[in-house]
Amino acid sequence: MSRKGLDERQLQIRNSIGNQTFLLLLYLLMFDVVLYGMGVKWASYPANVLMILALGAGIYVIRLIAAGAFVGPSPKTQKPLLKVSLTLIPAILAAAAILVIAKNAGMAGSGPSEDISAPVMFVGAGLALLVAAATFVIGKRRSKDEE
Amino acid sequence: MAKNLKLKAARAAKDMSQKDLAEAVGVTRQTINAIENGDYNPTINLCIAICKVLGKTLNDLFWEEDQHEPKRIG
Repeated sequence: MSRKGLDERQLQIRNSIGNQTFLLLLYLLMFDVVLYGMGVKWASYPANVLMILALGAGIYVIRLIAAGAFVGPSPKTQKPLLKVSLTLIPAILAAAAILVIAKNAGMAGSGPSEDISAPVMFVGAGLALLVAAATFVIGKRRSKDEE
Repeated sequence: MAKNLKLKAARAAKDMSQKDLAEAVGVTRQTINAIENGDYNPTINLCIAICKVLGKTLNDLFWEEDQHEPKRIG
């Protein structure tokens, strides 16, 4: 049998979670439209859509990790933690650099803004990383207990 | 779904761990664990792969005798 990708049980789980997340996204976007129609503007466009998409993607990934359907059967030589670290560190550095450059160039806006999209997205991303890490650790422990 | 004790026994008879069997058939250890616990119903391809590794037939490992079913001869 193929050793690449996910195995059949993981594929079934991934498909199921994917379908549910798709519907969740649909409902959330529709709910956002309804809120907008009622005059409630919780974040400016396109940050509101981006946040809903980020939430859906976060839920999808976390549920996949929790169900053990994120990484398939692979040789022992792979080190996902190292890969994740090597991807995360440059991403955080790049984000920080862009923020600093944008602020120094005066692109962040002329005056104080009441839009809370940026801090919400920043804190949300940090929280999602923490939850993903916690889910990964819990999954590892559960896997050891099963053995 | 009932636990598949026949699979567990056949694996133990071959002195294989769940991890060994999983690596031999190309799935995760969690999948083998789910099959043994009756939490996952494998496809016929995976059943055949497991049977080949353990040297058993599909009937030996995956046939469930129904209480009301007449005993098969042979």
